[in-house]
Amino acid sequence: MHHANHFYGHAHVLARYCGLGEGHPPRINGYVQHGWNIGDGLAPGHPYADRTPSLLWSEQTRRRAWSVGRRNVVTIGAPFAYLLDLRRDDPPEPRREGTIWYPFHGWEGQHVKGDHKELIARIRATEPGPVTVCLYWHEYGMRRVRRLYENAGFRVICHGYRGHWWKDTDPFFLDKQLTELRRHRRVASNRLTSAIFYGIAAGCEPAVYGDPMILSDEDPTFGGTARIRRQWPELHGESVDQATAVEIARAELGTDHRCTPAELRELLGWANLQEDDVDD
Amino acid sequence: MTTETPPRVALPGGEMLAWSDLPERRLAEGGPLAALLARLVPAGARVLLVGPHDPALVARLAHAAVTCLLRSHPDGVVLADRGARVVVGGPAGLPADEQWDMVVAAAGLDAVESVEGDRLGWDGVLARLVAAVAPGGTLLLRVDNPLGVHRLVAASPWYADRSDRAWSVGGVLDAGRPANQAQARARLAGAGLRPGAGFAAYPDPDAPTVLVDADELDRRTTSGLFDAMLHGACAGDREATVLQDPARLAVDALHAGLGSTLAPSWLLLAHRPATGTAADPGGRTDLPVALVQTGPPGVGVVEVHAGAGGWRWWASGGTPRSEAAPFASREVAHRDVAALHGPVPEGRLLRTLLLDACLRRDLHTLRHLLRGYATWLGTQAEADGRLAGATALAGTDNVVVDGDEFAVLDPSWRATAPLELDVALARSLWRFAAVLLTGGYAHPWTSTLDVAGLTVVLGGVAGRDLSRATVAAAVEAEAAITAALRGLDAEGRVRLADELRAVSPTDPPAGPHSYQQLREAWLRQREEMTRLSALLKWTEELLTSRERALRRADATINLLSGSLSYRVGRLAITPARLAKRGARAAKRRATAALNQRRPEQEQQ
Repeated sequence: MHHANHFYGHAHVLARYCGLGEGHPPRINGYVQHGWNIGDGLAPGHPYADRTPSLLWSEQTRRRAWSVGRRNVVTIGAPFAYLLDLRRDDPPEPRREGTIWYPFHGWEGQHVKGDHKELIARIRATEPGPVTVCLYWHEYGMRRVRRLYENAGFRVICHGYRGHWWKDTDPFFLDKQLTELRRHRRVASNRLTSAIFYGIAAGCEPAVYGDPMILSDEDPTFGGTARIRRQWPELHGESVDQATAVEIARAELGTDHRCTPAELRELLGWANLQEDDVDD
Repeated sequence: MTTETPPRVALPGGEMLAWSDLPERRLAEGGPLAALLARLVPAGARVLLVGPHDPALVARLAHAAVTCLLRSHPDGVVLADRGARVVVGGPAGLPADEQWDMVVAAAGLDAVESVEGDRLGWDGVLARLVAAVAPGGTLLLRVDNPLGVHRLVAASPWYADRSDRAWSVGGVLDAGRPANQAQARARLAGAGLRPGAGFAAYPDPDAPTVLVDADELDRRTTSGLFDAMLHGACAGDREATVLQDPARLAVDALHAGLGSTLAPSWLLLAHRPATGTAADPGGRTDLPVALVQTGPPGVGVVEVHAGAGGWRWWASGGTPRSEAAPFASREVAHRDVAALHGPVPEGRLLRTLLLDACLRRDLHTLRHLLRGYATWLGTQAEADGRLAGATALAGTDNVVVDGDEFAVLDPSWRATAPLELDVALARSLWRFAAVLLTGGYAHPWTSTLDVAGLTVVLGGVAGRDLSRATVAAAVEAEAAITAALRGLDAEGRVRLADELRAVSPTDPPAGPHSYQQLREAWLRQREEMTRLSALLKWTEELLTSRERALRRADATINLLSGSLSYRVGRLAITPARLAKRGARAAKRRATAALNQRRPEQEQQ
């Protein structure tokens, strides 16, 4: 299995949905899109075997992937959509309060250019209630950055480590994220990212504002942040129309394309598992 | 005084003594053509059958006075034995002073002229036949289509015909013969007749199993009935070798409004106005919209008639299958023509809608259609959750969709024993999955799915979580049902079940052997090989990288295991390790014992 399938515990969520328990998930016959993406759904720079199935979140991404030469592309919806189904009977939070704010992150190999202090001032001026800042593992580990947000009076959290080369993946990363999202009334970021769509799907009001913090080596292949603002202007701003946001999130997370467990087992290559394929 | 019986075979000259034209392929009771003639010919009418026709037609026209004009002497003897008056010779041999109420040239005009004597040509033969139509009478003429579906899919070109009857190959290049319906009607009008209704004949000009009113066929381009009829007729010949799938081509032609334009042949009616009457006898409204013969022999021809409330089924009932009746209760499925009496449901064929949505990769439409279908099947289920009768066999190729309404198109295909709802649904979806994959259709899923896998996926799209065990049961049910409907014996049924279980996405589809689809199957295999090669290469590289990581980890472990702190720690946890090992061994023994007991219980 491609190690990116394990990012954020995606494979674990899918295995739970398929009824395979909480152990180590079996190998997936394909690549699961591991984040909201304005390209072909796969992360640029990763090695992929040609024609191995791409298991994508949305129809739009599937069409785009086909148009750039990907074949064997299939829309299954985001793993987060499966998590929502797994936890649809959770008791509702007694009171949703404040904003969960996701400062845009790069991954370990990238460095964000931008001014955290300016962003903090903007958040304080905009957000009406208490603010929880969720930092990416990489920045959470940077004491200097974490302190900046803590000193601003924000609660600073991290959902966990997404994992790399099958190591240290937090299988409950998405679960923690969903739990946090459901505690908050708003979700915000300086870029339109997966977290915003997750937040909308979890019932938060979204907002995207502030310096988008350009990555030092951002891949411009698919148009970058400028294109994101052009294509989804409705989701940018300190306050956006909730109904529109819900509709777009539904399409981008492919919620309507969520498979049944048996269907998903077929598409992931888990239909004929041997006993040894499912580890404890 | 002696009474001389006139010879039943008149030989005016021009007969072919060592020749036979009678069709090799004969439909039960003469097929749709005989049913059409039975409607056209009133009792006591004088009928002239020109050219080689199935002897069953003569039997069907027992209520009329039938004369046959043939060129083959052996054929003449056969028909004379059936009670017809027979003239064997060229068209010039017809008695000059005799006329008939109905002249039938349903084998075309090519097989009318003999090798002997002068040639009249197409127009000359027509003129002679027109002269034989009595005032107020009718000519039924078959005209073959040089660009019919059968020609477009033929593995051998028409101009390469070297068979015995090809002493002269008359084709589309011969301006002396009509090459389309309009030209044929113009020739009929030019010969003094008034052209009337026309029927498109599919799939074989010599033995059409489907006759459809040509105007209706061109007008009702999305009719589920026509879709199913043309597909069923053209997919029937499992032994043929063709360039491409004739059923696909026929259904495409239907949707393009070219159903009659691409028909293999046409049956045209033309009337000779009665002297002194202004009434137009050509405007007959009592003729069927379609006549079709499908299914087991003996079922007869099913007709569709237009009425005030739309189209209605009409079935004569055919001859009951006396030999099969004692076993009918043992068969899992049967055809009950008596069920064909109500209105023909309007709508588009579900299979076509699904194929279209797959090609456009329109998951929303697929979900809407399949959920609607599964829900509709559910509402048809009995209290015990099983489907009986026609709905149990209501596959995507026999269900029409009108808006959100689903209906069984032809309710005569019926399950004798009820089927579990999920098995019935899985059977239908498996059949569709097999068509989709082996037919090489584009679809929105991955090439890694086998037929059973795609069936499960389609089930998921329909909102039902089907298991592979259900799909396996559905394949067994499909084998049993198909075997019953095809009348296979036990051995044939076992062979069929083996074949169905083995259907793979890289196989060509069932049905006629088509070069196009064989090539597509080969391309799919090649694509699959390319995918697997790329995967193997990637996996090899990954394995190399993981082996390197493992070596590094081993080196680290070796380094650490030599240290003093490791040895002390290991000594300290020895009791725990031993206990764990013992527990594992006990678990293994218990599991083995359980597994051993389970098969024993199953045997009991």
